[in-house]
Amino acid sequence: MAAALEAIALNKRFNSLQASNNVSLEVEQGEIRGLIGPNGAGKTTLVNLVTGVYKADSGEVKLAGESLRGCDMHEIARRGLVRSFQVTRLFGSLTVAENLRTAFLARRPKDGTDGEARIAQMLDLTKLRPLADTQAKKLSGGQRALLQMGCGFMVPGSCYVLDEPFSGINPVIKDAIIDMILEVNKLYGATFLIVSHEMTIVRRLCPKVTVMMEGKVAAHGSLDEVARLPEVIAGYLGKALE
Amino acid sequence: MFSTELVIQTAISGVMIGVLYALMALGITFIYSIMRMVNWAMGEFYMIGSYLQYMLVAWALGPDLWWLAVLISTAGVFVLGLVVQWGLIKPIFKKPPELRDDYATVVTLALLLFLRSVATGLAGPNQFTPGSNLPMVMIGPMPMAGARVAAFLFALAALGIFWAVLRYTWHGLALRAASQSRVGVQTAGIDVLSVDRIAFGIGVALAGLAGALLAPVFLVYPTNGLITTVKGFEIVVIGGLGSIPGALIAGVLLGLMESFGAAFVDSAYQNIYGFILVIAILVLRPTGLFGERGREA
Amino acid sequence: MRKFGILLAAGLVAASVAAQAQDIGIGLDIPLSAPGDASGGQLIRRGAEIGIDTVNAAGGVLGKKLKLFVTDSQSTPQLGVANYRRLVSEDKVVAVTGMFHSSVAIAINEVAKEMGVPTLAVQASASDITAKHYDIAFRTHAVDPVRVAAWMEFIKKKGFKRVSIMAETTDYGIGLTDETIAQNKSGNFGIEIQKITFDNKATDFSAQLLQVKAFKPDLVLNIAVGTPVDLIMDQATTIGLLPTVPMLISYDAPTRPQYWQLHAKNGEGIYFIAYYSPKAPLSDIGKTFAATYKEKYKEDPVYGALNGFGGVMIITEALKAAGNTDPKALIKALETGTFKSWPDAPVTFPRADGVYWHNWVPPVLIVQYTKPNQDWKEADVVVTYSKK
Repeated sequence: MAAALEAIALNKRFNSLQASNNVSLEVEQGEIRGLIGPNGAGKTTLVNLVTGVYKADSGEVKLAGESLRGCDMHEIARRGLVRSFQVTRLFGSLTVAENLRTAFLARRPKDGTDGEARIAQMLDLTKLRPLADTQAKKLSGGQRALLQMGCGFMVPGSCYVLDEPFSGINPVIKDAIIDMILEVNKLYGATFLIVSHEMTIVRRLCPKVTVMMEGKVAAHGSLDEVARLPEVIAGYLGKALE
Repeated sequence: MFSTELVIQTAISGVMIGVLYALMALGITFIYSIMRMVNWAMGEFYMIGSYLQYMLVAWALGPDLWWLAVLISTAGVFVLGLVVQWGLIKPIFKKPPELRDDYATVVTLALLLFLRSVATGLAGPNQFTPGSNLPMVMIGPMPMAGARVAAFLFALAALGIFWAVLRYTWHGLALRAASQSRVGVQTAGIDVLSVDRIAFGIGVALAGLAGALLAPVFLVYPTNGLITTVKGFEIVVIGGLGSIPGALIAGVLLGLMESFGAAFVDSAYQNIYGFILVIAILVLRPTGLFGERGREA
Repeated sequence: MRKFGILLAAGLVAASVAAQAQDIGIGLDIPLSAPGDASGGQLIRRGAEIGIDTVNAAGGVLGKKLKLFVTDSQSTPQLGVANYRRLVSEDKVVAVTGMFHSSVAIAINEVAKEMGVPTLAVQASASDITAKHYDIAFRTHAVDPVRVAAWMEFIKKKGFKRVSIMAETTDYGIGLTDETIAQNKSGNFGIEIQKITFDNKATDFSAQLLQVKAFKPDLVLNIAVGTPVDLIMDQATTIGLLPTVPMLISYDAPTRPQYWQLHAKNGEGIYFIAYYSPKAPLSDIGKTFAATYKEKYKEDPVYGALNGFGGVMIITEALKAAGNTDPKALIKALETGTFKSWPDAPVTFPRADGVYWHNWVPPVLIVQYTKPNQDWKEADVVVTYSKK
């Protein structure tokens, strides 16, 4: 069976900066993969290349064995590769329920339902039901993060790419998001690629991680394996993990 | 001079024209809210709507089927909007975002001149009127041309339908979402350029509708959209960019202000009262009556 | 569509390339788009073009061909001035004729007196166009005092006591309004006058007309130019002012071909100022022109076209008399010569007093449509007024 998500020799240059240097990556079906590395290592660039925000100079992305070459952002989303942003991208003056409904729009033609069941399920999963008719801009930062995750799971995704889903969020919400990820992974067998700096969460969620440094893939393996590599300690962690 | 009757008549005439101005404002604000560009050629779509109405009534349907002509004219402008978006506007959105505004301004201004020249070239500078068989209607103490009353009611209905579509349909949801975050809708798997196409079509169709409705009242000639466009922009500032109730209320407010200013202050400055309102709003509430302060990119 | 745009742009560039050196250029500044009276401009243009063709067919003037340079003032004075400058400095015209909106003509003359190339206004009536006694300012049109005298005679004849003036806030509208008020006083007519003014860029006159209605006038004077004339008529009908209260339009707008298309229901009974009636005899060149015009446009020429034609013919004769294209010589020739235009009457431009400086005034008529779809030539002549 083909890998759920495959990046093959991706290159991207911004003026003089080689933001992505021959990056290859393979995430198996149902896997939760961590993507770690210092700031400016090219993690977000990789996410943007994979999800079609940027067009790669060379290289290719495959989703379940099918090439995404030439696909626009919305087409990639429709094929089931869903992303979240570091900064939440919600529809501020729409209500929580409407945000979820919007995320369901693209699924609707295939699904043939009105999606209300799934919206209800997602309101429960995010525990935002009491706020269903509140405008998104009135939510707290953590609630927004939850809603954003909920919106992501509304899309008929088989593979989710999450960019820093835990940054700037209080520990209770972090746990809620972790639970959501594990639940969706278990229920639908969904694949995840998660960018994060939070090593305890990465250790809890991700059996395998990919380390990026200076636009290149530095290492693959379990967090404990890569954390022992001298170049990773020198270039990123600073010291061995506890 | 300050008789109650005159006050009531002035108020009625202000409200009626205000609602029609609001149609135009809505078109401008709607296109802006989704595409973040100003369509400077709005008045020309108004003009095309009025010419279509004239041609349909004068040559094909006759004055009794004016309502059908209005529907066809509006649909015609909608389709033209789709074509213009596809041919002229969409390519702009493939350019870097920081240049879009400039390109959009240049392209729509060029379109304005082009459409005016075409109208003058094809139909000459003369005025036309589709005429109207609608009888005079008494509104309270005031006799009103049937065409004006019909235009008013039609515009109200159009505003209602527009609001309901935005509020209750899937397409409406996509349009509202796109006005909040263009990247967001793409993440949700929605093709933002096709949302643009629909938005541009609907926006110019509102102008075309105003043109078709007002054709028997304000006549048909190549630059007849000019004043309505200026009013439209004033209303957008007064009501707040992107706000539908804002456009309606500001439209009525502008209509009343002009009507009362002309009747009781000095009629020579009719077109200036709107600007006074605009300046007052800019000073007191720069986002407009119903404008939103912040938006997510 | 973009390709079309490029073609259009290329066409505009080609059109603006200056005349060949051997041609003598005549400028024609007229309104060809709103808020100007585009139809009025168009008629003058037709007349002037036939004038040019007539002269060129007869071998031209001073051994050269005439060429017409047309510019659009849109009734905007600044634009008119820019047009005049371009006509004189780039197109090297010997005179600028046309001129429909008084504000434009007045503004142009302020620049013309510096640049020296004469102007011949054919359908702009404000006093200041000639009353300032500029060397370069000529006119072949009814001036405000004559027009006002004509309608004061009309008002007296009809026994009207209360008159509402709906006037645009331009030199034309304000000039005529002030002149009416002045003549009412100096002539002891004792008429009560309501003065309502409006911006000529407006489209909705309901508020103003409601005031007019409240005044309960015997006559409404519609002193607008272009589209507002028609909008005021329609909107006056809307609020029940027309046809109950008679309306007089301050120029010959109702002679236009589209009048009955626009006013099928409310056009009957309207009074208007006219400057030409087929009953008045035409000159020989006037007759030839009328025939050519009818053949070309399938309708009879109206005053604007006749005067547009006359302007070109007068300038041509003056060029012949001057013997060269020097502006000073041309001005001298215009002042001293006697010319032929469309009416069977000599045309002269003496250095006369007041507004009659350099000004030949055709007779002014007030006529009325008495039937729907009436030909303007059949309209009842109610008053004929000639300057005494």
